[in-house]
Amino acid sequence: MTEDDSIDEARLRELSEQAAALPRSIDPPSGAWAGIRSAIEADRNAPFDREQVATPHPAFWQRPIFLAAAAVALVAGSSVVTAVAMREIANRGNTVVAASPERPSETLTQSSSGPASLAQFTVVESDYLRAVNDLSATLESERGSLSPETIAKLRESLRIIDTAILEARNALAADPANRTLIEMLANSYEQKVDLLKRTTEMGRG
Amino acid sequence: MNRRMLRLVIALMTLAGRAEAQTKVERGMHLNADGSVRISNLVGSVRVIGWDRDSVALRGSLPKGDKLFMGGGPQGMKMFVEPLNDRNPQPSALEVMVPARAKVWVKTATASIDVSGVTGELDLYVVSGTIRVSGNPSELNAEAIDGDIHVTGDPGWLRAKSASGDVTLKGTSDDVALSTVSGAIAVNGGKLERAKIESVTGPIRFAADIQRGGALDIDTHSGTLEFTIPRDTGADFDVASIAGSITNELNYSRPTKGRYGRGAELVMTNSSGGARVKIRSFKGPVTLRSAK
Repeated sequence: MTEDDSIDEARLRELSEQAAALPRSIDPPSGAWAGIRSAIEADRNAPFDREQVATPHPAFWQRPIFLAAAAVALVAGSSVVTAVAMREIANRGNTVVAASPERPSETLTQSSSGPASLAQFTVVESDYLRAVNDLSATLESERGSLSPETIAKLRESLRIIDTAILEARNALAADPANRTLIEMLANSYEQKVDLLKRTTEMGRG
Repeated sequence: MNRRMLRLVIALMTLAGRAEAQTKVERGMHLNADGSVRISNLVGSVRVIGWDRDSVALRGSLPKGDKLFMGGGPQGMKMFVEPLNDRNPQPSALEVMVPARAKVWVKTATASIDVSGVTGELDLYVVSGTIRVSGNPSELNAEAIDGDIHVTGDPGWLRAKSASGDVTLKGTSDDVALSTVSGAIAVNGGKLERAKIESVTGPIRFAADIQRGGALDIDTHSGTLEFTIPRDTGADFDVASIAGSITNELNYSRPTKGRYGRGAELVMTNSSGGARVKIRSFKGPVTLRSAK
């Protein structure tokens, strides 16, 4: 074991102790979901239309309601919660940006850990949304490489995934500790990120 | 009669014109038995056939003015078609014989990809063409946006993804991941060890066996799931639907109301157990059956 490893281990232990001292769940600020939902709905008809993704409306994370939600989540959870939540997600194979073809067996050995509540998932969700936004912007800048028919079919697929996200998110808002719903929601986000990533890569010839 | 003759003459002239507009190509190169081949063709078709020789042979038909580039060495080579007009590429047909153990990478836009007899690794990408693979590649990664993917054979490792296209597997594999958004997924006949199958709205039909000690995960948002295994397959089931129904015709276990007060759940063991089956559906109906 190197010196760096022991430092990491000590730091990890310290983080774990700090994480253990935190409340097990935090309710999201009221209205946080409303901001996210309106962003998804606005995005639905033109999923990678630059005008809708970035301008003329301010991006959803620049809206006061989301900034407030992010600030509260940051203060309440601190970076420790983020680190713990992200590590749990990584452990179960739910990386935000899909890796190039990982072995399916790796994705099948998911543990039951992961975000246990809507509040924890909200932290992870912002990463998914950021990834979606980045990939949508990239795709928009390279859209000339895809035929109009393919773009139309891609939009339809993204709309279908957005509808699934919206339905699962609404159900989770009513039942914030439902881990099955959290898994489903994470799965839908991953499919969206993966589809955007694959399309971007394919368009590059 | 005269009108009929005129139509025939016009048809023959059109066919002759098309044939004249195509250029035939034939090339060959030495390639190690486990060498790599990369093929790129935007429109038309790519057919890859594995053979028992340390060489690559290409036969193709290109639109007049298009160019075929082919180069490399014994360890790796690539070929691609450069269209005369890349804004409006015309169909090219490539038929490529490769060493059976070669690693093959093919990328197209709307061209179909057809691979047979390759036992090496396959990486196949289409935007809207169809991918067909038959044989037993050691690894197969197939991706489409709105094209179908059809696999017949026993790939050691399989990963197939489409969005609106259908994905089918007829065969056996140790390690499978199939995914669509709205496309249908069908697994038929084989015996799987580890598998993950997911769709958003696409229907899923699973009619296969699971190895003892294997693991199967199926996720769908609103697609219907028809799940059929042999009656005596030992498996431990964990099935949950948030708002959909679960129908069990596999054995006498009955689903219960979901633990969160809605939907349905079914936790049961079939036969003596062994394989792990986890099914998650948001609102698509789930039906479990035994094979006749």
